Amino acid sequence: MKNGMTALASAVALGLGLSGAVQAQSDRILIGVQVPTTGSEATYGQDMYNAAELAAEELNAEGGVLGMDIELINGDSACDPQQSVNAAGNLVSRGVQGIVGGYCSGATMPTLKVYGDEGLPFVITASNSTQLIPANPGNAFMINSTGADQSKKAVDFFESQGVERLAIIDQGDSYSQDLADLTADRWESMGHEVVRETVNKGEQDFSAVVSNVRSNDVDAVFWTAYYADGGLLIRQLRQGGYRDTIAVGDGSNSPQLFEIAGGAAEGVYAFSNPTAEFLPAAASFIENYRAEYDQDPGPYAPLNYDGLKLLAWAMEKAGTTDPAAVVEALGTADGESWLTGPISFTDENTLARSNFIILEGEDGAWTYFEN
Amino acid sequence: MPAGLTAPAPVRFNAGYGGLGMPALETFLQAIVNGLVLGSFYALIALGYTMIFGVIKLLNFAHGDVYMVGAFVGFGALSLVSGVVGAGWTGLFIAILISMVAVGFLGVIIQRVAYQPMLSAPRLSILITALAVSLVLQNGALSLTHGKYTAFRTDLGFGGFEFGRLFISHQAMVLVATAAVLMIALEFFVSRTMYGRAMRAVSIDKDMCRLMGINVNRVVAITFLIGSALAAAAGTMAGAYYGSIWYFMGFLIGLKAFTAAVIGGIGSITGAMLGGLILGMLESFGTQIPWIGSEWKDVFTFAILILVLVFKPTGLLGKSEVERM
Repeated sequence: MKNGMTALASAVALGLGLSGAVQAQSDRILIGVQVPTTGSEATYGQDMYNAAELAAEELNAEGGVLGMDIELINGDSACDPQQSVNAAGNLVSRGVQGIVGGYCSGATMPTLKVYGDEGLPFVITASNSTQLIPANPGNAFMINSTGADQSKKAVDFFESQGVERLAIIDQGDSYSQDLADLTADRWESMGHEVVRETVNKGEQDFSAVVSNVRSNDVDAVFWTAYYADGGLLIRQLRQGGYRDTIAVGDGSNSPQLFEIAGGAAEGVYAFSNPTAEFLPAAASFIENYRAEYDQDPGPYAPLNYDGLKLLAWAMEKAGTTDPAAVVEALGTADGESWLTGPISFTDENTLARSNFIILEGEDGAWTYFEN
Repeated sequence: MPAGLTAPAPVRFNAGYGGLGMPALETFLQAIVNGLVLGSFYALIALGYTMIFGVIKLLNFAHGDVYMVGAFVGFGALSLVSGVVGAGWTGLFIAILISMVAVGFLGVIIQRVAYQPMLSAPRLSILITALAVSLVLQNGALSLTHGKYTAFRTDLGFGGFEFGRLFISHQAMVLVATAAVLMIALEFFVSRTMYGRAMRAVSIDKDMCRLMGINVNRVVAITFLIGSALAAAAGTMAGAYYGSIWYFMGFLIGLKAFTAAVIGGIGSITGAMLGGLILGMLESFGTQIPWIGSEWKDVFTFAILILVLVFKPTGLLGKSEVERM
């Protein structure tokens, strides 16, 4: 309650204080886009900003939101916690009515409090660390699947393929081991069998793993680490006469997997974030994006595009840009279909339904696999 | 399902973990096959270690990196010839030959530039020079490839013979056969030819050889030529077999081949072949022990190295000699 009061008070204060300076015209809605447009992740960040810009242009062309035009403000987080807090403070002081973005989870983390104190609606589009969940004051909504969702998707997929005994192979690092642990626990809790293997990084010969896979008679192999060694493993599995299902995690869904594994990667499945080129609904998005920016949208562009559209939708639904009302409206999102799939939220404001998609290797490239 | 890999109706055994029950025999035979493949790589590289140690008493730690360079040269050669003869077996064999010749001469250059001036220096200096050569080769490849994996593409296919659960790929068979041919040729060279005899003589007493009119420098150069060429053959075959190469690929396998040379008795050519095969088999069977698992493979290898050093420091076929440091 205290927070609510503070938020309301500061919102009023902001409204009063800044209405003269920045918000001279009340016929526009200011939205902050918090992405790293400089620094190591600038490519992805610029790409996400472009996607938000595209969404804003489309909305404005259709008459805007609540009759007002949307105007974006770039809050460059630089994938750096310090810089992102400054950027967030800047966005707040310029009177934004909502924020979309968030790429590096580490940089998103400290901004949760900044926006939370103001009670501003924050749609987190790419950051997906599970550590963001307990830090969320309630005004932020995550529309990208978290790591736990990938294991859920994987388990669903293996079930649908009639797999009984699953070999899970990781590389001993925290990322691949976490995914392997989550998947193994879930798979075992469903009454199936798991065969665990770990390979050493830099090792080229996986014959021991291959013969364990074959002698244990597994129905499917799940590789949770990265593409370089994944390519080697897939190749050796096929060379070793293994012919059942192979699936790889999102660390291995790079096109380079095909270079290394060659023909062996045909028919391999991969789990992936919703990348534009594989999204059935994204054809016109890709076309518009190319026309506007003369390049292909990157992996997180659709999420940021959805983020802005979702925020606009919530404002329309609330009938106002009042932050508390918009936050409440966001919470009621109920499986409406967006570019990256239907969005609704759990009690923790995370995406209720995994947005991971499945890809299949075909003719040396990934194609969308309808599960 | 990849093209050409239509699965036969799966035959289910009462499979238990660790190959208990019915598939035990097949698991055993499969482990032998895996061990032969690994052992062939180890033996080919171990031969270089052991020959070079034999003639100039140098542990050439750059040898694993010569293997890596061999893989890259083989890759380049295959890219060149594949336009004419394709990237199948013919192309690969031509690539192996080109790589053997080119890297053989690289070995001679390394010996002339880096080791020759150090021959009369203390043993430790030349050992450090070897480490420096290793770094030069590794970082040279790193800067040329930017540390990326290079895909070694061939058209060798994934076919093979299948007996129940035992699967032997054509690639594995050709690889082991090629390694065997190279080793038999080497054995013949060392035991029957003039230079082979000279090589054995130099390894026994260099000064005496010089007095007898043997061109010791030339014998040492030939030793480097052959040792490096064998490593290049192994590197090119490994590239084709595993499908990707990178600048660091020689490090671990170099250490393991060194282990193989020590197990067999460093300085002994037959010992290196035997040591390579034994190490390959030990790794292959060791990882089949249920509670060991494949992530313990390297621990297993180097534990064996320590045991050999403790209980039989001269290796299986090595002869103890008077230390002349």
